Amino acid sequence: MKAVTGIPVLDEVVEEFPESKTLTYWIDPEVEGNAFAMQTIYTNLERGFKCAYVTVTISPESVISEFEEFGWEVKEFENFEIVDLYSSYVGFPSKCKYNANPINLEEVEVLMKKVLEKFDIVFLPASSIIDVCGEEALRCIKDWCSLAKSIGKRVVLSFVAWPYSKEVKDGIIEISNALVKVGGIHHRVILGYYYGLVKADWKNVKSRAILFKLVRPGGVRAYIPKILVTGPYNAGKSSFVHAISNRAVSVDRLGTTVALDHGHLEYKGFSIDLFGTPGQERFDPILRMLGKEALGVILVVDSTKPETFPRAKQMLESVTHFGLPYVVAANKQDLPNALPPEEIKRRMVLPNDVPVIPISAVKGEGVYKVIDALLDLLIWREGEDELEI
Amino acid sequence: MSLRSELEEVLKELKATGDIEASAIVSRDGLLIAADISSNVNAEAFAAMSATMLGAAETAMSELGKGLPDRVVVESSDGKIVATGAGDRALLVVMTSPKANLGLILLQLGKASKKVEELLG
Repeated sequence: MKAVTGIPVLDEVVEEFPESKTLTYWIDPEVEGNAFAMQTIYTNLERGFKCAYVTVTISPESVISEFEEFGWEVKEFENFEIVDLYSSYVGFPSKCKYNANPINLEEVEVLMKKVLEKFDIVFLPASSIIDVCGEEALRCIKDWCSLAKSIGKRVVLSFVAWPYSKEVKDGIIEISNALVKVGGIHHRVILGYYYGLVKADWKNVKSRAILFKLVRPGGVRAYIPKILVTGPYNAGKSSFVHAISNRAVSVDRLGTTVALDHGHLEYKGFSIDLFGTPGQERFDPILRMLGKEALGVILVVDSTKPETFPRAKQMLESVTHFGLPYVVAANKQDLPNALPPEEIKRRMVLPNDVPVIPISAVKGEGVYKVIDALLDLLIWREGEDELEI
Repeated sequence: MSLRSELEEVLKELKATGDIEASAIVSRDGLLIAADISSNVNAEAFAAMSATMLGAAETAMSELGKGLPDRVVVESSDGKIVATGAGDRALLVVMTSPKANLGLILLQLGKASKKVEELLG
């Protein structure tokens, strides 16, 4: 079995975490980024790899409980060991098989050689090691990464990007075969968190930044805060939201949505919130309000009612300013007089590359293909926002 | 007397409470059933948004496990809007002047809503 990063989307980009490679999570100080390395370690434990987790600034017990907060019972894995550089640093006897005092770098070097020989994947909290041992520890980290490279092991680094010297930052970038940046979106306060691949030397790919949230239990989930589900009256928007969501609420009266539908969906490592709009024209002020700050649009149309297509297009126009990606869900395909997707595209005069997906919301057929198509547009569309450290 | 004029009669009685600038009986899906509204207000939009407001408030309350709200009161310096259910299929909404005595209005509104519910039975 291949080793992987265990991070949603990232694994689809890099495909695997090959041996002899160093993977670095470069974390903005204000972001809680530990979970990334933990998720990589845990995913590979489950895949049977021998993993070691080095700790310097928190106790082995706290490491275990941090894992457990995400629902990752690392204690149950025989292939997991904590390398304890904490206990003797604070003057406690260590209960771990692998331990050393970080003040004595030579002792640590001997220990790490052993650890790298014994384990397939080793986690190093690079910035914490530098905090405790000083910047000269960078040399040791470099040595360990080279050793891992020469004997076919993998290293996961987590580097919290405090204002260290340029030498340290450049050194970390140099030893990283793959670099993933984890940052916050600032607008006076932090509005959200993102991660993205800066480089991976075994794959020539670029990915755009992906929003995420931490779920306990669960770990890192790619997060799409707002997908708008709109379309004409009686097209099946609410049915679609209910067919696809893990949980959903609707404000509907006498069979029609008067305010909104809200649905939440956990799918392929993504956490997605869907907002369904009313379809009737008298509710258009609500449509414009719900459309604000959506990341993508799903336009639901009734495939048996071509006379509603102009209204569908007009609704689309009012919510897709600024080139918002959208897909069309051609609903009610289970009815005999439903038009095929190609015919709908032709009659609506849509650009050729717009996905039109045949679905039946009431039967739940094809609904996930709509989400796949939209995720495709959102994640893989040529990004203009290239990431830099 | 037709149903429509009976409903309009309810709104007229309600207006006698004083400080009521507009009132309407609206189906739960936001269509106007009967109204006493001056022509400078868009009655259709007023009806639709009343249904949105009450519907959203009802769902918010019941999702939070607090049952159904008796009414929604919106206050601004230019006036107040009060929407209340009138049976399963309709709601009653009034727009008042800023200084209106809410206590009295709520009392009359409650009575009117029961009448509407009976009429639409």
